[in-house]
Amino acid sequence: MKYGPTALLLAAALAAGSGPGAAQSVDRPARAERAEALLRAGDRAAAGREARALIAEYERGGTAWPARDLVAAGRAYLVVQSGDAEAVRAALRAFDAATARDSLLIEGELRAADLMLDKYVAPEAKLGYERVLRRHPGHPMATLGLARVIAFTGQGDALAVAREALKADPRAVPVLTFIAAQHLEGERIDSAAEVARRALVLDQGSLDAWAVLGAAAWVRGDSAAFRNARVRAEGIAPRPAAFYVTLSEAAARQRRYADAERFAARALELDSLSVPALGALGTNRLRAGRLAEGRALIERAFAIDPFNLWHKNTLDLLDKLAGFRTVRTGRFEFVAPAREADVLLPYLAPLLEEAYDALAARYDYRPPAPVRMEIYDRHADFSVRTVGLTGLGALGVSFGRLLAIDAPSARDPGTFNWGSTAWHELTHTFTLGLSGNRVPRWFSEGVSVFEERRARPGWGATVTPVYLAALKADRLRPVSQLNEGFVRPRDPNEVILSYYHASLVAEMIEAQFGPRALGDLLRAWGEGLTTAAVVQRVLRLDEAALDARFEAWVRARFARELAAASRAGVGDTAVVGDADLAPVLEDARRAQAAGQDSAVVAALERALWIWPYDAALHARLAEAASRARMPAIAVRERRAIVALGPSDPLGARVELAQALLEAGDRGAARREVLGVLEQAPTYERAQHLLLALRNAPPGGAP
Amino acid sequence: MRSGPAAAACAALLLLALGPTSARAQRTHLLVVTGLGGAPEYSAAFLSQGAALMDVAARQWNVGDSSRIWLAEDAAHAGVTARATREAVAESFLRLSRQVRPGDVLVVALIGHGSGEGAQSRVNLPGVDPTAAEYAGWLAGFARQTVVFVVGASGSGDFAVHLKGPGRVIVTATRTPFERNESRFSAAFVRGLASGDADADKDGRLTVLESYAFAVREVARRYQEERAMLTEHALVSDSTLAARTVYAAPAASADPRVAQLIAELRELEARLDRLKARKGGTPVAEYDRELEALLVAIAEKSAEVRAAGGRP
Repeated sequence: MKYGPTALLLAAALAAGSGPGAAQSVDRPARAERAEALLRAGDRAAAGREARALIAEYERGGTAWPARDLVAAGRAYLVVQSGDAEAVRAALRAFDAATARDSLLIEGELRAADLMLDKYVAPEAKLGYERVLRRHPGHPMATLGLARVIAFTGQGDALAVAREALKADPRAVPVLTFIAAQHLEGERIDSAAEVARRALVLDQGSLDAWAVLGAAAWVRGDSAAFRNARVRAEGIAPRPAAFYVTLSEAAARQRRYADAERFAARALELDSLSVPALGALGTNRLRAGRLAEGRALIERAFAIDPFNLWHKNTLDLLDKLAGFRTVRTGRFEFVAPAREADVLLPYLAPLLEEAYDALAARYDYRPPAPVRMEIYDRHADFSVRTVGLTGLGALGVSFGRLLAIDAPSARDPGTFNWGSTAWHELTHTFTLGLSGNRVPRWFSEGVSVFEERRARPGWGATVTPVYLAALKADRLRPVSQLNEGFVRPRDPNEVILSYYHASLVAEMIEAQFGPRALGDLLRAWGEGLTTAAVVQRVLRLDEAALDARFEAWVRARFARELAAASRAGVGDTAVVGDADLAPVLEDARRAQAAGQDSAVVAALERALWIWPYDAALHARLAEAASRARMPAIAVRERRAIVALGPSDPLGARVELAQALLEAGDRGAARREVLGVLEQAPTYERAQHLLLALRNAPPGGAP
Repeated sequence: MRSGPAAAACAALLLLALGPTSARAQRTHLLVVTGLGGAPEYSAAFLSQGAALMDVAARQWNVGDSSRIWLAEDAAHAGVTARATREAVAESFLRLSRQVRPGDVLVVALIGHGSGEGAQSRVNLPGVDPTAAEYAGWLAGFARQTVVFVVGASGSGDFAVHLKGPGRVIVTATRTPFERNESRFSAAFVRGLASGDADADKDGRLTVLESYAFAVREVARRYQEERAMLTEHALVSDSTLAARTVYAAPAASADPRVAQLIAELRELEARLDRLKARKGGTPVAEYDRELEALLVAIAEKSAEVRAAGGRP
């Protein structure tokens, strides 16, 4: 397989166009190469003509072709695959035929594996690359293929494998551009640019390398370098859609979704059939809550490439989302399965209103309403909504004014606190909005965890032996490198520790620089300043001084614990969370034994933020609330029991009616009890309540 | 508006002719067969369900000792009549067939692990397992009774095919013999009977259909809570008869005053049914007004019935 300089090929392709001479050439691999080059240059029509001419020859009598020509036929099919699943299958058949004809020619095997990976059949692709490597150990393109499989599956170190490929062939431009793209994805911007430049030294016509270089320049805010990369890309390919797709993806990784959308739209202008452009624009429209537009774009992408797993998953999810209930309350729009809406919103809506007010006051910023929160009762759906695939480990995500979280039912009981998670994600709406989406991830996460701790006692991460051990051993990153702990963790624990560590930075900044400091930092990022400039302007410190200041503060804060800290045990968790039900229930039990109904209410309310589906828990809370003369809570709890679909629904509704009456809402109590008796006219308890309602003096409970 | 005495008398006659509230209290007989557990937790669960059914029958359905039979894996367990062998099952049917009267209700609950297909469907018991065909033969002695046959076992779907017939309600935990995973149906079914929660309309007269619907709902809930795919789908063979058949119905009061009050109550209920039938075509405010008036009247009449020593 060729992977040499592309500039000459592109230029030759553009010069040759698809004239008759070109089509008549007997050098079929060259013709396939030319068709591909035309496609890369954005001339779909000419590329299609070139490829179809080759395909026509193949279909007339290609079965007798030599292996290299069969590979060329397969490549031609892939040039015209847009919207044609059969062309993809024909390409695969051609590659397989080439391998069968000449087992010494590995190109067919490699192309087939590439195709498998492009169509998301990673296990088959891996087998193909491994077959090549058994015959040609260390083959750079097969090794690169394995690296791409690893990057796709996320299982292993793709960069390490790609570096092996580079050792085998240090001049392999596709390997270099892959490594550069991996750096870009991992937010190692300088490394990405440096490797892209190395690729360009070898091949000035590598559009992929210019795209990485352009994206790196854009992320750094280096407009001159960005402009240069764009001009060079346009010089190579007049319609460089892929360049803008790379930019869009880089912008999305920086959470700058509006820019991601703009770049994707530009890519689509350049190539209206580009599946990545359609996908990127559609995804960003969905992130912005523009569901109809986003769906239409993803549908177009899926019509062109029906093998695309991301798009298939997303369309399936959107079908499901259509059956969710949308509830607008105050400044929020909730979208959730009906049962989840009934059970969760009586708690979530007031909580988020409270959070909005608290955060707006603290940061002097009011995100435009409505903020949309989508709640998923299947974690796989949440994951698809977030990244297009299942398997995401997160509990919630914020795209700014669109939040998505797992419903507690999506996880096992005691897995997470859905109240603090919702508060955390809404905090991102503020930090992203106030900074024009320029806040670095470590700071945004740190503020969110810090705000969780302020929201309710016991919420948010707290210190643990594992954290203290890491602090003591200097294994935690300084503030200036804290982002690394999120995007390039040295081990899975480091991400968890980094959340807590970053929250302490936020806490220290507020403690030492005043209540406005966090907001001022966010505003400074919003002006497009670098982190160093932001810190200098707001905190009057350089980054090294901030590192030192925090180091001293955190060690002072935990001085006693550090002195006493024993080594962390193997089973210790990195951070103590707020989702442990057992101690909360124990608190409730103790309070009940002591006859302290208000404390029972407080403890059980904490329990509901961990697991809200236990009708017995709601009943206990309702009873305690009634005893503690907290009728509104009793009513809410009785409503929750009804929403949970209890074994005895009419009995639960009578309890609700009773609670409504005790809360002084005679009208609602009457409606409820009439509703019950309409179904069960001789239900004795309901009859008693109806008669009591009629006989009680207005305004009083019977 | 109150109805006149003539209408009330007609309603009372109608009830005497049709309803479970006959002049004589309905007699219910119960045969519980709990099978081999195979593992301690299943053995314990089956025994627990059997005991609960026996208790419900004694306390709530007023089934006399001689009409309550429980055959189980462990004959020494408290309350168990005999070991659940094929012979004991056959003998129990025979015994009950000799003591039932026309119009009685026979409830059979067969709880355990099911297997087999068609006429060979069976629930694992100690020794040779009786087949669905054999159970069908034993039921032949109950042609003049209403038979409620509940098979709370995995893979029990084909029992319905072989046991169904006039005057019979067959409930199976699964739709086919191929739903072979552990069934949760019998536990939910028994819990609905024991707790009273299955009485959906709260009239104190639990029908077979209500108890079936409760169990179906609770099984679905259980699977949902466990986030598992529903692998069992229960069946009821004759939902019309199931809706009419109650596990226990008290005798009508011999007190003519109570009978009169109940007749008046039934007339009010009939008016409520007529009002509900025209709900869609009645302005909401008017419907609500009439509904409340009728429900208050029913509540007051029910209170009168109770005060007079009757049951609404």
